[in-house]
Amino acid sequence: MSNERFQVIVVGAGLAGCSAAYRLAKAGYAVLLIERGKAAGAKNVSGGRIYSYALEALMPGEWHDAPLERQVAREMLMLMTDEGAVTVNSLFSQELQAASYTVLRSKLDDWMRKKAEEAGAMVITGVSVTQIIMKGGKACGVLAGDEELEADIVICADGANSLLAAGFAGKVSTETAALGVKMVVGVPEQDIQDRFNLAKGQGAACLMVGGCTKGLAGGGFLYTNKESVSLGIVVDSAALKGSQVRVVDLIEQLPLHPAIAPLVKGGQLLEYSAHLIPEGGIGMLPTLYGDGFMIVGDAAGLVVNSGATVRGMDYAILSGIFAAETAGKSIAAENFSASELKHYEVMLRQQVIKDMKTFKNVHAFMKSTPGLYTTYPEMAESIFKNIFTVDGRPARRISKVILESVRRHCSFWQLIKDSIKGGSAL
Amino acid sequence: MKKLSMDDRLAINKFDSADETPHIIVNCLECKSCTHKACLYACPAERYRLNDMGEVLFDHVGCLECGHCRLVCERLYSSSMGYSWNHPERGRGVIFRQG
Repeated sequence: MSNERFQVIVVGAGLAGCSAAYRLAKAGYAVLLIERGKAAGAKNVSGGRIYSYALEALMPGEWHDAPLERQVAREMLMLMTDEGAVTVNSLFSQELQAASYTVLRSKLDDWMRKKAEEAGAMVITGVSVTQIIMKGGKACGVLAGDEELEADIVICADGANSLLAAGFAGKVSTETAALGVKMVVGVPEQDIQDRFNLAKGQGAACLMVGGCTKGLAGGGFLYTNKESVSLGIVVDSAALKGSQVRVVDLIEQLPLHPAIAPLVKGGQLLEYSAHLIPEGGIGMLPTLYGDGFMIVGDAAGLVVNSGATVRGMDYAILSGIFAAETAGKSIAAENFSASELKHYEVMLRQQVIKDMKTFKNVHAFMKSTPGLYTTYPEMAESIFKNIFTVDGRPARRISKVILESVRRHCSFWQLIKDSIKGGSAL
Repeated sequence: MKKLSMDDRLAINKFDSADETPHIIVNCLECKSCTHKACLYACPAERYRLNDMGEVLFDHVGCLECGHCRLVCERLYSSSMGYSWNHPERGRGVIFRQG
């Protein structure tokens, strides 16, 4: 293989890497995709929802064959206390172009790998890239095992826990990362439809805030797959470290919570997994390109937390497309310098970085507003409880009940401060 | 859903971890001087344990490779002497089948 020369080497067969390799191979370039896992997807974990506009941009029409789980029709937001929950539950009919699907990455990534291979990319798995070979300040290949592989351009798609891109980009840290821990719980298909009130093929997405992280910045998530439920938590790394809360306690207690237990009743654990999420946003945005290289997906920290959704997979795909287009342009010009590859950043700025800017203060707001995870879910629960409590004592007007609940949980001044802070960040 | 012990939970996963060199190395004697020992509570697979001597022991078999210990441990993060964090080589380690 060492005699073979590639125009582009892509490191990492996740969504960003597979997308870049697929596009480059489709355009006829000699591309090598290297994955450290035994198979594409073997090392990858996500919460579980992908927005299909990105798949459509990558492979118009063809993505309909992808192994997606269920089309999300039901959105749920659960404000959780230790014992109870207030849930907003809404059913939407989605426009197809704005559709989202629940997903299990081991299946999807391997399908994407197959598409890249069919398009003509060479793929090797179970091989670790330990270093990017630099000559005269330009990336010109990779060291894989003890083999040197040469290329005009290297695309780093080695994920949130990137050791390769870290050399250029600065490492992810407790301040810029969250830890996701997830259980995939097997539940029969019909039971999922019955428990979540879904038609066949329809899925539910549920975000939890409050009790599930014991007051730490973060939250819980639940996504229904075809025959399983992805259930987990995301917790801010610095908050967890400072709190001395055992993360295992959080994930163990989640399926026992009274609002969650009936949803996974009788379920069998199919997998227990964990992964980092780069949540620093625009503030931690690294060098995205340089002479002979580009960094895509989670390795580049292309994740947006809007407060209601955490998006990374669609941006990973878009960044893969942009990197492939930039590489193609640069090969045609026979110019692999940073000044040529800057085109990648220009493309990112129009879409991905634009979104990151829109939500640039959300991460800080969510980290610095502890009430979101304690006071406010408790307040919501108490309002609902008191509104619907009838115990034979003299009845009170709803407005009075609400005011009383609010006053009992926090000062109006705190509420106003948090509202203003949230209003400007969200 | 039945509550499972960590060992039972990890036993459901697929791993290919030979008894070769672990991908994460910590120095259990040096760890004694760490004031927070965040690895003990921040690892979602409970791979770090304290023995009777107050030393931190790491078991690489069953590691989910999330990399969180690398973030919470200053010594792993800066690759101090006796500490290193790497991905397992040649596809070894956890093999997620769901993801």
